[in-house]
Amino acid sequence: MTTTTASTHRPGVTPAHRTDPLAGAVAAEWTRLWSVRSTWWTVLAGVLLMAASAGQLAIYVANGNTDDDPLNDAGVVAVTDVVIDAVGLTQYAVLALGLLAITGEFTTGTIRTTLQCTPSRGRVLLAKALVTGAVTVVLGLLLGAVGVLVAAPVLGRWGTAPAAGTAGDVVAVAVYLALVGVFALGLAAVLRSAVLTLTVLFATLYIVPLSLREPDIAVLDRIADAFPGEAGRHFLTGDTGPYPAAVGLLLLAGWAAAALLAGRAALRRRDA
Amino acid sequence: MITLSGLTKRFGSTVAVDDLTVDIGPGRVTGFLGPNGAGKSTTMRMILGLDRPTAGRALVGGRPYRELRHPLHEVGALLDARAVHPARSGRAHLLTMARSNGIPGRRVDEVLATVGLDARAAGKPARALSLGMGQRLGIAGALLGDPPVLMFDEPVNGLDPDGVRWVRRLARALAGEGRTVLVSSHLMSEMQLTADRLVVLGRGRLLADAPIEEVVAGAGTEVRVRVPDDADRAVLTGRLVAAGATVEPDGPDALTVTGVTAERVGDLAYERGIRLHELSAREASLEQAFMALTADSVEYAATPTGGDTR
Ligand SMILES: Nc1ncnc2c1ncn2[C@@H]1O[C@H](COP(=O)(O)OP(=O)(O)OP(=O)(O)O)[C@@H](O)[C@H]1O
Ligand SMILES: [Mg+2]
Repeated sequence: MTTTTASTHRPGVTPAHRTDPLAGAVAAEWTRLWSVRSTWWTVLAGVLLMAASAGQLAIYVANGNTDDDPLNDAGVVAVTDVVIDAVGLTQYAVLALGLLAITGEFTTGTIRTTLQCTPSRGRVLLAKALVTGAVTVVLGLLLGAVGVLVAAPVLGRWGTAPAAGTAGDVVAVAVYLALVGVFALGLAAVLRSAVLTLTVLFATLYIVPLSLREPDIAVLDRIADAFPGEAGRHFLTGDTGPYPAAVGLLLLAGWAAAALLAGRAALRRRDA
Repeated sequence: MITLSGLTKRFGSTVAVDDLTVDIGPGRVTGFLGPNGAGKSTTMRMILGLDRPTAGRALVGGRPYRELRHPLHEVGALLDARAVHPARSGRAHLLTMARSNGIPGRRVDEVLATVGLDARAAGKPARALSLGMGQRLGIAGALLGDPPVLMFDEPVNGLDPDGVRWVRRLARALAGEGRTVLVSSHLMSEMQLTADRLVVLGRGRLLADAPIEEVVAGAGTEVRVRVPDDADRAVLTGRLVAAGATVEPDGPDALTVTGVTAERVGDLAYERGIRLHELSAREASLEQAFMALTADSVEYAATPTGGDTR
């Protein structure tokens, strides 16, 4: 080894076309995301989960309508209703994408490199949120389309798929998944562990609101309605009850933003 | 230029870095020395804004690292623990770093060539790199932004003799270009060849911050004296001890004397008419200086079993 430094100019005066640091952080995050195999596995898992659960839920509807028991007849349903129900399970693959964007960095120690390159904690998290959001929106559109393509033929005459309504619902699914993906990211920045984050996500999206529903107490119901999982469900199903769908969307976005702020505070305060 | 003022870090009850105030200037290699657990890596992590100081602050070029917008153009660092995704190739790792700071992709190839990693090695997943190749990759990352300040934490760790010489030359060349170069190492002998100045830590405290010759001189010189006659040697030993010197036998007929000058030893021998075969002053090695400085602050002292600390 006889080489020394290759630079010929004076140090610290590297000329630049220096890019905006946020753009740089986003570009780095994009490269990082697609150069780890787990990203591809989560995308594949999402597609398989969606196909399986949309198919299964469609079979339930079709069987319910054709068996002897009139009580379980759902009648003709929108194909996207089945897809939205299937999101309940499929979303965990998408959540994994959001939370792995940061927990993976802590387990491998690459967070030190990331923060060395982009010392602003807020900028790191914002770049991750932008990339996670963009990827999950596209993935959400794909998953919505997969769900429709699987559920429609299974439902047959029991399903309707008006073009505008279906497209709107698929977009809503994509937006929902992007928001919970970012929510997962922020939470993971606080908790640092993938397992712990997944547990907390499962609780806030599903278990806690569900258990609050049990007793018929209005206050608990109200609290349950404020949870991110419920806000998302109201947004997706477009029901008018306890609040309009748009409020559900705002609530969910608020949760995602709050999680990001908490994540930024945690990254600033704690040693990497 | 790195400026540390009152820099302190506590982990629970452990004081890893204790009120450290020191300036690390440009144009020279500053050796960062200290026994295991002295706080060298913690100090470097605080300079990079990775660990939050409990008190005090660390500035690079007058600014806290966390405020830098394109930090790779300002500070390049190799940390002790690897911070590379095990499944990602070294090249992808460097490309990701480059992207984040708007550094063109061809610079990645440049630094890979500088550190001597060929295309095959750079394409391997990081987990398949040997310790030495991993160090080279880390150094490549530090050079990426062509920064005026460089920090290397134990850079020769895992390198073969060729690699060690290469790092030494690289550090010298970088300092020669006017950059600030901070290198931590356990190898005192290595520092003697590489560093111009030493910052010595013991249990998080600053023990020395001085040019290397001064640190060595501070450890005092040793005088070697050969006295062929046994009785004379015993007499001289007694005189020397009475004069406040420390005397140790050195081989069959020689003594190693510290604490007095060679002139004084000669005068004492002359007064008693003692015949000498040799009288020589030897400067203490950096290693001895280091041992003297850190003797009280070794955290993980090994029980001596005959091996030395080389
Ligand atoms: N994250 C941490 N949590 C708790 N204690 C820590 C942490 N990091 C370092 N320490 C402690 O701080 C002290 C200084 O450690 P540091 O790694 O900075 O020493 P060092 O000089 O780099 O040692 P070495 O020569 O072995 O690399 C040690 O006592 C260490 O145990
Ligand atoms: Mg260390």
